[in-house]
Parts: sequence; C-alpha cells; structure tokens
Amino acid sequence: MEVIKKVLVIGGGVAGIQAALDIADGGYQVILVEKTPSVGGHMAQYAEVFPTLDCPQCILTPKMVDVGQHSNITLLTYAELQKVSGEVGNFTVEILQKARKVNHKKCTGCGTCWQKCPEKVPSEYDAGIADRAAIYIPFAQAVPAKPVIDTEHCRYIKHLEFVEGETEGKRPPQCRICERLCPAEAIDWEQEAQTITEQVGAIVVATGFDLMPIKRLPEYAEDPDVIDGIQFERMLSPGGPNAGVVRRPSDGKIPGEVVFVSCAGSRDPEHGVPHCSRVCCMYLAKQAMLYKHAVHDSQAHIFYIDTRTTGKGYEEFLQRTMTEGTVYLRGKVSRIYRDGDKLKVMGVDTLSGKQVEVSADLVVLGMAMLPSVGAKDMAARLGIATDEQGFFTESHIKIDPLESTRPGIYLAGTAQGPKDIPDSVAQGSGAASKVLGLFARSEMTPEGLTVG
Amino acid sequence: MARQERIGVFVCHCGNNIAGTVDIERVVEELSHYPGVVHVEDYMYMCSDPGQELMRKAIQEKALTGIVNANCSPTLHQRTFRRVAEAEGLNPYCVEIANIREQCSWPHADDKETATRKAIAIIKATVEKLRFNMALTPTVTPLTKRVLVIGAGIAGIQAALDIANGGYGVVLVEQDIGIGGHVMQLAGTFPSLEQPDSLIASRLAEVASHPLVKLYTYAEVEEVSGYVGNFDVKIRQKAGYINRGRCNACGMCLEKCPVLVSSEYDCGLSQRKAIRLPSPAALTFHPVIDVEHCLHFNGSQCQACCEVCPEGAIDFSEEDTFVEERIGVVVAAPGYDLLPVGQPEAYPEDPDIIDGLKFERILSATGPTNGEIRRPSDGKVPREVVFISCVGSRDPEHGVPYCSRVCCMYVAKQALLYRQAVPEGQAYIFYMDIRSDAKGFEEFVQDVMDEGGILYLRGEVSRMFRDGDKIKVWGVDTLIGRNIEISADLVVLARAMVPRPTTRELTRKLNIASDAHGFLTEAHIKLRPVESLTSGIYLAGTAQWPRDLPDTIASAEAAASKVLSLFSREELLHEPTIAWVDEEICSGCEQCVANCTYKAIEVDKRSNVARVNEAICEGCGSCAAICPSNAVQLKNSTPRQFFEIIDVAAG
Repeated sequence: MEVIKKVLVIGGGVAGIQAALDIADGGYQVILVEKTPSVGGHMAQYAEVFPTLDCPQCILTPKMVDVGQHSNITLLTYAELQKVSGEVGNFTVEILQKARKVNHKKCTGCGTCWQKCPEKVPSEYDAGIADRAAIYIPFAQAVPAKPVIDTEHCRYIKHLEFVEGETEGKRPPQCRICERLCPAEAIDWEQEAQTITEQVGAIVVATGFDLMPIKRLPEYAEDPDVIDGIQFERMLSPGGPNAGVVRRPSDGKIPGEVVFVSCAGSRDPEHGVPHCSRVCCMYLAKQAMLYKHAVHDSQAHIFYIDTRTTGKGYEEFLQRTMTEGTVYLRGKVSRIYRDGDKLKVMGVDTLSGKQVEVSADLVVLGMAMLPSVGAKDMAARLGIATDEQGFFTESHIKIDPLESTRPGIYLAGTAQGPKDIPDSVAQGSGAASKVLGLFARSEMTPEGLTVG
Repeated sequence: MARQERIGVFVCHCGNNIAGTVDIERVVEELSHYPGVVHVEDYMYMCSDPGQELMRKAIQEKALTGIVNANCSPTLHQRTFRRVAEAEGLNPYCVEIANIREQCSWPHADDKETATRKAIAIIKATVEKLRFNMALTPTVTPLTKRVLVIGAGIAGIQAALDIANGGYGVVLVEQDIGIGGHVMQLAGTFPSLEQPDSLIASRLAEVASHPLVKLYTYAEVEEVSGYVGNFDVKIRQKAGYINRGRCNACGMCLEKCPVLVSSEYDCGLSQRKAIRLPSPAALTFHPVIDVEHCLHFNGSQCQACCEVCPEGAIDFSEEDTFVEERIGVVVAAPGYDLLPVGQPEAYPEDPDIIDGLKFERILSATGPTNGEIRRPSDGKVPREVVFISCVGSRDPEHGVPYCSRVCCMYVAKQALLYRQAVPEGQAYIFYMDIRSDAKGFEEFVQDVMDEGGILYLRGEVSRMFRDGDKIKVWGVDTLIGRNIEISADLVVLARAMVPRPTTRELTRKLNIASDAHGFLTEAHIKLRPVESLTSGIYLAGTAQWPRDLPDTIASAEAAASKVLSLFSREELLHEPTIAWVDEEICSGCEQCVANCTYKAIEVDKRSNVARVNEAICEGCGSCAAICPSNAVQLKNSTPRQFFEIIDVAAG
C-alpha cells in the first residue's frame, strides 16, 4: 500500500507549529488545523517566559509568520477536525472550516471593522480581563491577521436569527456597521461552514491544554480579584490590556500585596486532579519576580507544597526569585475570603507548623493544567486512547513517548501531559521525526501496520 | 561600492518594549530629514503580518534600495525582514537591523531622554553602514547526507534509528565496548516498573543490525574538521588486542583469564576479567583486553587467553587504528555520569554507603545478587535503608546548584522495589522537595507514600558514621522541627547527574559551547532546544541537561527530525557575509591563519596571499581584526563602515 506523503497537524500552538515547520522543511506537504482564528496557542498570551525572561512574542511570532508563509503548509484556522477514517499511510480526514463571514481573499486586514464594531465580548486571548469586538482578530500579531465574525455575538446575525424566528425576546438591531465601513467589501453574510476532505499519510495531534476553571475550587472564593495564571500573564504583558501595568480587576488599583497559590487543583485528587502540572512552580516564581519588578515596595507570597524547578537554569531562577524578596510559604491554602478592600488567604506554614493568614489585594491561582476542552471527543474521533483526565496516551510511556496508541498518529506538546515550552518544542520536532521516517518509505509493509 | 540612496527606515514599537521608553514620534521625525532616507514608518509590531505588509508596500512604492529596521536584536527578525525584501526583489543584504530594544530601550528603561537620543544615533549609524553594503548572494555548498552520532546510549541509539529509518546512513560511535549506556544498568523504570534492559533490547538489536547504521564500538571521535554538510571525522578504533575477523565469541578466554578486576557495569559489586565483555545483556560481539590490568601488558609472560583461543584471535601487537568518514551533520549524545561524592564528613567512605546506580545493580534481576537485596559489606539483607535525595544537587557550596531532575523518582522507585523484595524492611527517604512532575509521576509517589514502611522525611542529612554493624544517619525533619537519628543497614545516595568528563574534550573537537557545569549549550533554550550554535551539530539526551528516559528519547527524536529536515535539501546555502582578501595588499604574513578558529583561511604557497574557504568561514571577523594591513575585510562590515558608524555615534 502506498504511503500518502502529506500530514495533518492538529493544533497551532507552539508544539503543532514546530511539528508543521519541521515536516514542511523536510519537503512534505502539511495541513495545519487550528480551531481558533489564529495560530500561536497559549504561548502567545504570556508576558515573558522563564528562565530567560524572553518576550514570547519576540520568539514565537517569527515561527507563526513562518507557518503562515511556508510554501509546504496549508494553514486552516478557525477549523476543526470532524472525522478520520483509514489507516497509517492513508487516512481520509474531514475538516470543518467554520464560517468566518469574511472573505479573506478580499480582506486587507486594515482593522476598520474590529475598531468600529459596537458589540463587546470578553476576549479569549486576554483571558476575559478585557473585551474584544464581535468581529475580531484574537491579537495584534495574529496569523492570519484577518478577522472572523463571532456569529454567537454579532448583532446582525442575531437579528437574522430573530427574523427567522429562531430566537425570541427583544429584536436585536440590524447593525451591519462592519459591512458598511469595509473598504474591501469583504464581509460575506452568506458564507457558510464547509467541509474539506483530505488524504493524509500521518497525523500529529498537538491540541494543547486549558486551565482548570477557578469555579471548580469553591473554597477559593469567586471574587474578581482571585484570578488564574494566564489572566495574570495578560496583566503583566506589555501588550496586554493595561500595557503591562498591573491593576486588579475589581477597582483598577495597583495591588501592593499579591499572594500566589501553587497546586490549585493539582496534586489534589479530592478537589481537583491527582497529577502535578509541572510548569506552575516556575511560572509563579516568574510572575512574582515580574510583579515585584513592576510594582516596587510590593509584597509577594507564594504558597507551595514542593518547589519543582527541574529544567535548565530553573533552580537558579527560583533562588533568584527568593533572593529578590518573594516569600515562600510551604503549605496549602485552605480558604480565601473577602474582607473589605482586602482578600484574606488562610493557610498553613508546615515549616513552622502554624496557621497563617496573609492579606492580599490580588490572589493568583496556579490552576491545574488539563487537556484542552474537547480532548476526549478528539480522541474518540481519532480512535486513540486517553488517560482519565483526557491526556492522550502514548504507545509506551518510557520508550515511545510520541506515538499514540494508533499507528500513524503521533503526539506532541501538552495534549500528552503538562510540560513547558522547550519540552513541547522538542516533542513537536520529535513527532516530526516520526512522520519524516514514515514518509521515507514509499510503501507500508505489513509489520508497519501492526498495532505497537 | 554603490551608494544606497533610497533608504527606508521602519521603527517598531514592540508593544511597550520599545515605545514605552523611546519616543517613537521624535525618532521618526529626526530620521525623516536624514540624508538618503526617503521613507520612515513606525508600527506596533513590525514583525507581524501587517508590519511586513507595510515594508512590502514601501519597497514597491518608493523603489527603496536599502532598508533599516529599527527593532529588536537581529538574531530574532533579521531573517524575517530580509525575506520580505528578497520577495520584493531587494537584495536581502541591503537590509540592516538597528537594535533599539536590547541595546537601548531595555537597558535605559528609566531614562527616556537618553534612550530616545541613543535610538536615533543607533538608527543613523546603521543608515551610514547600510550605504556601503554590497548586494551579496549566499554561497552554495554540497550536502553529504550521512550523519555521525556520538554515543550509543539510548539517546544516540534512538537518534540513529530515526535517521536510518528515514533512509540516511548513520555512523554511530560508542566509546564503550557495548551499547545501551546507563539504561542497561537500571533495575526498573518509573513509573511503570518495567525492566529497562529488556524494554530497549529490541532497539539495541535493531541499531546493531540496521543496514544503514555503521556501528563503531570501543571507538572515539578523534578529530572533526569541515563544516555543515561536509565534515570529515577521524575515528580512533581502540585496540582490543583481539582480531575481530577471527574471534568467534566462544568466551573461552574469559574463563581462562586469571585477573579479576572490579566491574564497571556492576559499579564494583562484582568482578570481571582483564579480558572482558561489557555486560551480559549489552550487545557486543567480541571481548577486548583491558591493558591496564592484563598481566601480559604489565610485565608478566601470561598468555592464558592466547593459549586457549581456538581461533588464534588474540593479537597483543594490535594497535589503535584510525578510520575516516565523511558525514554531513553530527548528533552529540555523550550522556552523563554521577558526581563523585566528596564531602567525607557528611558521607564517609563505607561499603554500605552506596550511590543510586549501585543500588540499581543490587535490585536488578540480572545484577550480581540476582535481584536479592544484600548489602555490600557482609551480604546481609538490610532491614533499614536510608535514601538521601539531592546529594550534590541543589548545593552550590559542595556540589552543583541545579536539580538533577530524575533522583526524586528513582529514589521513590528504589524504595518501592526494596519494600517489595524485603516486605519487613523499613525505608526512609530524606528530601528537600519532592519533584515528581511528569506524567504519572505524582500518582506514583503518592502510591509509594501510601505503601507502609516508606517514610518521607523533609530535611537534610548533616552527618553519617559507622557504629558497629549499623550506620548512624543524623538529619533534621523540618516539618516537625527536630533532629533525628536513624540506624541504617544501608544508605543510598542520589548523587547529582553531571556531564561525562570526556564531554569537555568533545565540545572542543566539535567547536560547540557548554555551560559552567559542562552541559552542552543549545542554540535557544526555549525554541531551539536540540540545536547547538554551530550549524550542523545537534544535541540529544542527558549531555544537554539531566532528564529521564522519555524526555531523552523525545530529544533524540527531535534531533533526528532536524537532521531529516536538513537532508531533504539537495545543497546548503552559506551566509555570504564572510571574510574577503584584497590580494594586492596581502603580504602572506599568516597572522590571520593562526587566528582563525574555523580553520577557514590559509596562505596560498605559490602566490603567497591568504585565501578564504567560503564554505567554512563563519564571518567572525578575527582575521580582519588582526590583519596588520587591512587586507582581510569582512563583507559588509568593513573598517570604512565602522568609521562611519563611529562618526555618527560620537557626533
């Protein structure tokens, strides 16, 4: 049986980007499918990355631009894998291209539409701490830098639905401001979702992670000033909604005291998940450091169970955070509650064996990393196994970490388990190597088809 | 040199990174009156798609002959912007970066006025340099699609297999007599508790018999010359004093050899002969004679092996031989060692104070005790075992400052295996932080803790000493805040992982960098984790940083991917910004030759002038700097250009 030398990469985060680039540089065709309107993934949201404090935009943007421009890569953003059939060497995949309602051939990305759109929706990219328009690009460096219309929130689409009797209540306005202002006449209300069918020889799954929602930990209070790590990244980011000035959500005050809570949901089978999320120790140390650099004379406390800083330069980074004045408290936080203008964080310091109460203006929770929403459905579509949490299972945890349980389908990045950027990049390249090896053969031998 | 008179300047805000400190408006205003500059534009992120679009439009509309991009370091986006220029028909070497972020806005964040003035000066200086740039084309060099993999531990084996299965030839060089590396010594893997030697046995067999893999065992890389695409390696095949063609691997010599030496494979727990095989499980084909211990080589007339060999394969006169191989790229996977203990006060020398690898051998079913747990001093089954994490790790004073990443897990695994073998035994684990951070690890450690008879103690050990039959261990439990004393039968030290001592020598041969600890340095810690800074040389496994088996395999596969990608090209392009010799002026003094790290310049004997090998020259400029007559110059970095830069900067 002939091997089709074309690969489908699912997920346009840094792992998928790396896999796509390596395979495309290897001379093979790549279809890169990303469900959001832009590639970049979570990495594009971060303020600065540990341990070098590089700005992730600076190091990721070139790669994003590369996948957008590479002659061997077909980039399908705002698209999702629907169905897979066939077997290694010859899969048939059906991809749903969601309706953008914008003709990208005409659109110049000038930005008039998203500047003028009157409907405001919490921005996914800014993790809800700022708004975006209903017609939007997720962030300024998005690839492609052309917008989509969020049909769930667009006023005109809602109006149409109302007219057709699909919704009830007050009649939404017949807005169409984007259409009127678009100099390229690129708005296309008729555009429908379409299914694209492709033949590929192999698939790389790099669907990434999401953070556990804070509301799964009710003891940590639903309060606007209790936020998760990605929200704090957006606050710290010079490209973020406050241009890097840290302001707490409730009243915009610059917080003088911030408490960071590690293992919020991780290592906690009772309330959360049993696994360790691997990156929180480092990003909380980094956030505390950046926060203290941004707000002088401030107090940062980090509650932790064990500090886990095992990567290159990480232990030294942790020591630097401690030396620069962040106070580490070894113990768990039992409760967070509001007390007037302040939040009170109740915890225990297991080293002194005493209860502690720390007051805070802002609390950052290092929420557990979970597989991205929908990972289990994705696994079912692909016919591969997951663990209880939904992380994709490798063919052998020790010696075949990048091969899924189905031949021809490879794994990369945090979809397989929590990991940091270098490990995700290494896995993206590693999965590419598996694909390049497979494509070096022109035919599949019977052994190649046995389930490993 | 053509004067570049239609210059475009593009100033990037880099979000707040530059615009927060540098007054962009003033920069644009100043530059728009500068001689030769016909277009100035600023944008939030010049590297983004719309930013690049602005450049494209300006190149076409203003017919630009040169571009200065004022933004971040050239290592980040020089390639991006040069590609844009090239696509629009402008020679990419007529694009220069003015670094106003790393060299301006970041260091002067607290002084906006200085930063703005400096940014203007940097950009103007770059415009001056650009005026004298030549339009250049990259050099094309052929590509040998064959790879050298150094080290046949699991990292090297995996990289070799991935590349060979991709259809390319591999030369795999291992200094030991067998392949498999440290994995072969381990008793079980965490968290799945499989026997590692059987786990990777098929991979060892595959690499040893792969038609595209040429395996050299008991061999070392002696010398590497050349450049990416075309390296020549000289491999030293160490003399084993056995004719490989004749030996039939019957093993009779091993029986007859009268010399017993402590076994490296069993970490000194068993003995081997002076004529030896690496390990029972490691794939090897012939024994070798260990000259250091063989009686024949140490003044005696012993010929025991010679006499018994039915094939007459023993050859005491054998000498090291050298093989030359032509390859295109290198994957370096020389692996790790454990840090020698030191600190005799804290950890005295005692047969029952052992390291983690030694305990692996005691636990291993193929080990010297066949998996029965007996302590080295008297063969007694230990009832109380103390494990100590972070021996040398996270200890800048006595050891190394970093965390060795795998110890927390292997110590937990060893304690569990010990308890399974000795159910009435008691295990203690001293730790600072439990670092079980990969898939299934946390759950594994929880299981180990729930298992009766394994006690985790958070704290450090201050001292241990022998007390009759026992070893007293003094430590502190920081959770109850008390000193504790344990009488142990056996103490296992999780010593820090360090690069092999030979790795430093290797970095010199390969011309690659290593960090203060000797670990190989990657090109970019986040985004280029398996590439070295020398093009064509890739890194895999624990020589780069401590890591466990799956991460090692993933890094090896990633290195293989880089090689496979590169080999998909038919030829390589080499940067043209390299040295150039003005033959009229050159006097052939050879100072440049002595100064070139890359061995890229030599003096032609007939004409007595220096010649640059364009494929090897990396454009570092040391020849140009040392040349007493300015006969060697770097293309697009000439003295004249620097004087122009200095004029602007000083003015």
